[in-house]
Amino acid sequence: MTSSMLNLPTSIPWLTILGVVPLVGSVVVLLLPRARETMAKQVALAFSLVTLVLTVVLALGFDAASSAPFQFAEKYEWIASLGISYSVGVDGIGLVLIALATILVPIVMLSGWNDVAPGTTGRGTVKGYFALMLALETCMVGVFAATDVFLFYVFFEVMLIPTFFLIGRFGGAQRAYASVKFLIYSLVGGLLMLAALIGLYVVSADVLGQGTFDFMQLVGIDIDPGTEKLLFLGFFIAFAIKAPLWPFHTWLPDAAREATPATAVLLIGVLDKVGTFGMIRYLLPIFPSASQWFAPLVIAMAVIGIIYGALVALGQSDMKRLFAYSSMSHFGFIALGIFVFTSQGMSGSVFYMIAHGLATAALFIVGGYLMSRRGGSSLISDYGGVAKVAPILGGFFMFAALSALALPALAPFVGEFLVLLGTFERYIVIAVIATIGIVLSAAYALRLYQKTMTGPVAPGIDGMKDLGGREFTSLFPVFALTLVLGVIPGIALNVINPAVDRTLTTVGLTDPQPVLTGTEGGQP
Amino acid sequence: MSGVLSASVVADTFTLPTIDYGALAPVLIVAAAAVIGVLVEAFAPRGARRPLQLVLVFGSLIAAFVAVVMHAGIRQLDGGGAVAIDGPGLVLQGAVLLISIVGAMLMAERMVDPAGDAFAARASTLPGSEDERQFSSRGFLQTEIWPLMLFAVTGMLLFPIANDLLLLFVALEVMSLPLYLLVGMARRRRLLSQEAALKYFILGSFSSAFFLFGSALLYGYSGSIKFGKIAEAIAGNPGQNMLILVGVGMVAVGLLFKIGAAPFHQWTPDVYQGAPTPVTAFMAAAVKVAAFGAILRVFYVIFGGLRWDWQPMLWVIAILTMLIGAIVAVTQTDVKRMLAYSSIAQAGFILLGVIAANPAGLRGAIFYLVAYAFTTLGTFAVVTLVRDSTGEATHLSKWAGLAKTSPLTATVFAIFLLSLAGIPLTSGFIGKFAVFTAAIEAGAMPLVIVALFASLIAAFVYGRVIVLMFFADPPADPPAVVVPSAFTTLAIAISVAVTVVLGIIPQPFLTLLEQAGVFIR
Amino acid sequence: MNVYAPILVLLALGAAFAIFSVTLTSFTGPKRYNRAKRDAYECGIDPTPQPVGGGHFPVKYYLTAMLFIVFDIEIVFLYPWAVAFDKLALFGLIEMLIFIGTVLVVYAYVWRRRGLEWE
Repeated sequence: MTSSMLNLPTSIPWLTILGVVPLVGSVVVLLLPRARETMAKQVALAFSLVTLVLTVVLALGFDAASSAPFQFAEKYEWIASLGISYSVGVDGIGLVLIALATILVPIVMLSGWNDVAPGTTGRGTVKGYFALMLALETCMVGVFAATDVFLFYVFFEVMLIPTFFLIGRFGGAQRAYASVKFLIYSLVGGLLMLAALIGLYVVSADVLGQGTFDFMQLVGIDIDPGTEKLLFLGFFIAFAIKAPLWPFHTWLPDAAREATPATAVLLIGVLDKVGTFGMIRYLLPIFPSASQWFAPLVIAMAVIGIIYGALVALGQSDMKRLFAYSSMSHFGFIALGIFVFTSQGMSGSVFYMIAHGLATAALFIVGGYLMSRRGGSSLISDYGGVAKVAPILGGFFMFAALSALALPALAPFVGEFLVLLGTFERYIVIAVIATIGIVLSAAYALRLYQKTMTGPVAPGIDGMKDLGGREFTSLFPVFALTLVLGVIPGIALNVINPAVDRTLTTVGLTDPQPVLTGTEGGQP
Repeated sequence: MSGVLSASVVADTFTLPTIDYGALAPVLIVAAAAVIGVLVEAFAPRGARRPLQLVLVFGSLIAAFVAVVMHAGIRQLDGGGAVAIDGPGLVLQGAVLLISIVGAMLMAERMVDPAGDAFAARASTLPGSEDERQFSSRGFLQTEIWPLMLFAVTGMLLFPIANDLLLLFVALEVMSLPLYLLVGMARRRRLLSQEAALKYFILGSFSSAFFLFGSALLYGYSGSIKFGKIAEAIAGNPGQNMLILVGVGMVAVGLLFKIGAAPFHQWTPDVYQGAPTPVTAFMAAAVKVAAFGAILRVFYVIFGGLRWDWQPMLWVIAILTMLIGAIVAVTQTDVKRMLAYSSIAQAGFILLGVIAANPAGLRGAIFYLVAYAFTTLGTFAVVTLVRDSTGEATHLSKWAGLAKTSPLTATVFAIFLLSLAGIPLTSGFIGKFAVFTAAIEAGAMPLVIVALFASLIAAFVYGRVIVLMFFADPPADPPAVVVPSAFTTLAIAISVAVTVVLGIIPQPFLTLLEQAGVFIR
Repeated sequence: MNVYAPILVLLALGAAFAIFSVTLTSFTGPKRYNRAKRDAYECGIDPTPQPVGGGHFPVKYYLTAMLFIVFDIEIVFLYPWAVAFDKLALFGLIEMLIFIGTVLVVYAYVWRRRGLEWE
């Protein structure tokens, strides 16, 4: 007896279909004639909606109470000589992240409907833009669904290509620079991960007699402690660059500034989650003792990131850079929640990944609408009193700002709260410092709102049009989801928690006992 | 008196070599076609030469490939031990033949240059002279390139199966001499081309001399030119010996020159730039496969027992090669020179498979070679298409905004560059992965770290070209991308297909390499 | 080492004779120079212009020299065959015929391409 709401036949390769649909869409869009721009957009949106429907079906068929580590699992031999298989499957964490990706893609398509009008931004064509978005969606599904470390790496790297083109071909004046910076940073991470990946393979060949990349076989293999630390570092730096954690974050502000809002949402909202997802899925289970050994360092980086990101955001005069630094601060929370090794902390992190994805979408999309009305300027000083002229836009902006500062009853609050709770169980001091980050985020979010939306109407703002139907439609789901998840987080947490517990069991850690035992703040 | 004595000694111990002509058929077919090609040049009327040569070239290459496939199961020493026909040798021969077929397609192209093909109408005319103009305007074609190419292929087919030093040297020369000529035959920028040919010839001869001297020392040490006998002599005398070490070093220099490993790489950029681009493509791909085949055999079969002595040397060379290739490529502004330096870096990566000195390294190196070869053929094929009024527009600034004017060409080139950079789902990635894995298994972790660092720099180089093609504005006088004939189109299509297919489903080829096993002694 | 001693002695003798005879003629021979004698020796024909001031050295000389070398080397390869003729038997004969045939192809090529005509 399963507890899923929908009984899906297991003979159908659901995840593969989910990944292939956007890819097919990408090819179809590319094959359309260049002149039929509206058609390209419609076809792309249709494919992304089909993907979304499939995801919903999948989510309904997902059995949260199942004891199997991965559901909808598929496994085929791929490169047998190197122990590589095409194997996919999802646990609760993978499922919610796939859902996040497939929800955001149609939303950003709608929001970026006219971002690539010919001659406005970049060199690319409309159909190219939408085809790249769909290709990226395939990679995102793949990277969260892979249960073979090599397959994960392949998606991790291949994901770069559509992103690289999305930033480099469709964006601001410095887009080429930003895209190359993004590429180089990502390749550094990717190559380090490749080294660690090969190292892991060689170790697995030593231990198991036959090298493998299968996640389930790699979990719990016995690695020499020194080697384990090195391999951990290889993976960790790749993830930390992706996430991005301080001090590997410097590519993010440039990329966020130069990319179109839609690209920025996918980049920060979903792609960067691959880093934190990788930490939970691969670092902790495969390198448990190294993870514990490095945990203090990672926690320190996370806390520095929280405070540093928030402080720098406070000082930004550019809206997009502000968004980027605020994200960096929030990524600190996510990493913190993962490496305190408590179930609340980790559940909070995963939940926060979703919530942050939505919050990022809200910020960048509404910010994008605002900027496109003012000739693309992202300088805060160019704006003022917008809420008087365009009240709906102002309202959504308020909502986005509140969701960035994690107002209670909005989804980010639940994530942040759980992370802090989890941190508090182990390290009180750290939790207190991280709380300062929340205060700071309130400061920069409200300051941003106050400077742009209130006060005297700035020159050039007069007569600004309010949000139209399409724009409203694209923002409303984000708004609704943020609210729903903030009020009833259980719908996501029910799915996330079993996967988190399984991960912690694999690492060999249990939550510290309540305060009575007096172990809080101590090293486990 | 002593002469008579030694002659009678030879006569007494002489045993007739047995030659299995069937097993040598691939070499013999191509060599015979080359000889017939010379006769065609001598007796056929001018108009009939090109069609006849094309039939000969493609016919013989395909026939030779069929012969290789038919002998897939053969593992034997032949010709009195002078050649070793074994799995890796046959795979390399097959690879050389396929690469040559694609290379020949590029050389046969006549549509991209309005004046004819890529070769000087008559190579013997003085550049800029009245003669040259006349031959050119009368539409003469140099058809001697075909027999020359087939002779080079003959050498390449012998190179990876040669099992004694003398035959290896003969193969080296048979491969190299026609190439020296082909390099100098460009239709445009002839002085550059001739200079490149002379440089290649002089440096090549120099390296051949090194090789010969090294061979003599090895002979002096072991009393034999047969690989197996030398290996036995080394095994039977484990102590270090100057003679053998210097011999190893000098033979290595001769072979490393051919693959363009640093510090013997100086000729590569000049030759790659000066040669007619189809020849560059053919050389860059086929010579590397053949020469690496020989290096792999020599280091596995002869010098396997001396691993601890030559590995440090190859470590240094591999590191230099990877870093010099990648770093200097950053500064290049000519697309052919950039690809030349990148090919140097790639040679460094392949050397990792040699250094690993295990079966996985052998397989990885061969996989990488094939992947690299087809990608390289493709890149140079694309280079032949991007032209302005003076011929190929090789300056990188001309390539800016190519995606705007010719999205398909730019995309195809980007696929090749991504493969060279080692991005997953391309053949280059699997090659790198296999080679690096083998090297780590052999304990060469530091070397792999350096290789990754070099990969990163190289990726920057390739990424920069992609940025230029896709993100930049076209120059004021953008080059045109010409529509080639079926020859080049097919060559590019094959290259793309191999690059992508080997990247996505490499297992069949890996299985083939596993079945091929290792070199026999 | 003493196996090689006769070779070294022969080498020394040959060098000594060459040096001796060249030196001797410069002392004993009469020296009557004229213009033709001061020119570069080119088989008795009019000397070609020098590359620097005039034109180019005709490629014909190289062609002739190369042809000479080809046939010269052919003879060199015939020697060992001649020595071991009986041992090599039919195999050797066939191989040698193929070899000579190949060289003949070169000859045909040069002939058809008018490489044998001087002007």
